[in-house]
Amino acid sequence: MTEPATSKIHLVIVDDEPLARAILRELLAAHADLQIVAECGNGFEAVKAVSDLKPDLLLLDIQMPKLDGFDVLDLIGTQLPVIFITAYDEYAIKAFEVHAVDYLLKPFSAERLDEALVRARQRIRTKERAPVREIVSAARPDRTPLQRILIRDKADVHVIPVGRIDYVESQDDYVAVKSAGKTYLKEQTLAELETLLDRGAFVRIHRRYILNLSRLARIELAVTDSRIAILGDGTQLPVSRSGYARLRELL
Amino acid sequence: MHPILGDPRRLGIYLLLWQLIGLLLTVGLRGETPWTTAAAFFLPLCFLYAFVCLSAWYVCRFYPLEKGARLLNATIVYVVAAAIASGGWVMAGGFWAIALDRFANGFGARQLYEGQQLLLLVVGALLFFLAAAAHYLLIAFQASREAEKRAIELDLLAKEAELKALRAQIDPHFIFNSLHSISALTASDPAAARRMCLLLADFLRETLRLGANSRITLSDELALADRFLAIEQVRLGSRLQIARDTDPTASDCLVPPLLLQPLVENAVVHGIAQLVEGGTIRLAAARDGGTLTITLENPCDPDRSRTRGVGLGLDLLRKRLNTQYGPAHAVVANEQEGRFLVEVRMPAVTAAA
Repeated sequence: MTEPATSKIHLVIVDDEPLARAILRELLAAHADLQIVAECGNGFEAVKAVSDLKPDLLLLDIQMPKLDGFDVLDLIGTQLPVIFITAYDEYAIKAFEVHAVDYLLKPFSAERLDEALVRARQRIRTKERAPVREIVSAARPDRTPLQRILIRDKADVHVIPVGRIDYVESQDDYVAVKSAGKTYLKEQTLAELETLLDRGAFVRIHRRYILNLSRLARIELAVTDSRIAILGDGTQLPVSRSGYARLRELL
Repeated sequence: MHPILGDPRRLGIYLLLWQLIGLLLTVGLRGETPWTTAAAFFLPLCFLYAFVCLSAWYVCRFYPLEKGARLLNATIVYVVAAAIASGGWVMAGGFWAIALDRFANGFGARQLYEGQQLLLLVVGALLFFLAAAAHYLLIAFQASREAEKRAIELDLLAKEAELKALRAQIDPHFIFNSLHSISALTASDPAAARRMCLLLADFLRETLRLGANSRITLSDELALADRFLAIEQVRLGSRLQIARDTDPTASDCLVPPLLLQPLVENAVVHGIAQLVEGGTIRLAAARDGGTLTITLENPCDPDRSRTRGVGLGLDLLRKRLNTQYGPAHAVVANEQEGRFLVEVRMPAVTAAA
């Protein structure tokens, strides 16, 4: 453990249990080359800390309120090396799929943590990269429809249950999620989001729009062969010919 | 399925009985006719009538023996059915006598028949009634056997539910998390680590001890919940608050062991632990005359991803209470505006009563 003291590895600890953070603090004190730059008690704090402090390593609990460890990873979307720490062994495969450095089971020994840190240093030194997109899709291998959309707005995180989405508009590499008059931007393609949403509740009505079916009030014929969807709040969205066919199939 | 026709063994015994009746008739109604003639006449006739009388089952099924049965209707139907069956039988007897006489001249079957025609009609009707009574007996026998089978099945189901409940009692993750807390405390606060060890040991021992009983007092069950919550409080810190409101008269009531434990666990794991700010678990028990009511309330995240665990725990609870109290219990669970509430009602029984 003789890393040059000039380039300390900055790490962030994330666990919702104070004692779990305490033991990490205690065990990490033995490593002179590591510096804890933040301790977070939940996923929101973690996302904020990562975006503000740009750490080199994340020690991340999985079971946390609102945003679990995988949600955090989905949101920070970087190639930040992560060591998962959890009492549950059933997430090991999922952790491997998102290229975690290691997966520690609570309770763990100091030796086991050291082992994980050796791997982490290796990963940081070689600057090994994990493909970003793969992380997002691999985080949901179960194919159940999305229940909520997580959106990172600089250091803030918005959790939008899919039921509160009015519609989604494509904007280049982003999607604009419209919910109760507000717009949230997320770096994702409309096509990708479409595959994640419940096909019975959301319809791609146009190349650029996905509509929450429950918001649809009526469909009007605009000019010949072109239709307009009128939402409950009066919003008008264009409906393409294939989009209309998909709508009719569901209605 | 016909209780006799559907079972070859029973059919054999039944037909044998009818041959006995045939022999009785031979002896009783022979008069001056030779033995052989009487036997040749009565035995096949009884064999035939045995099958006719099987039809009594359909009447029995239509008029089951129950309270408030339509007695008058049933009587009329039975008399008519018996008259038809017996009449047909006696007529068949006539043809059989002619056939016998033709087959062996001077056999004397017709003479026998004509002499006993009226008596045969009465005997036939009586035999039909007898057959109906026998069918009723068989039906009752089958019903009681089926009820017994169902009772055994129910009992098995109850035992299985009980076993599952006990097995599911201690969540291994709870133990792993507790051990991790102890591991964290050992260096920083050895006294607290020791306290936690003792709490955990107490909880595990009590779970095993209480689980071995068929009924325990509510105060024992609540003490177990207290231990569990004390351990979880060490882990979750100030996020977990507890409010208890137990009516002293409710504490003596008997409940199935580890009844509340899964609910309390759910309240922590699926309620408090899913909230960034945490919250308060309210546990109340009250006794109102013959009814014991236990309520458990906890805040929850309305947007959390639904897990099946909670529903399964409630199902199991319902099954257990159902086997103990039947319809005299109620489990009501509902979630409103971020609060999850379970109310359990059951008969208030104490050891003295």
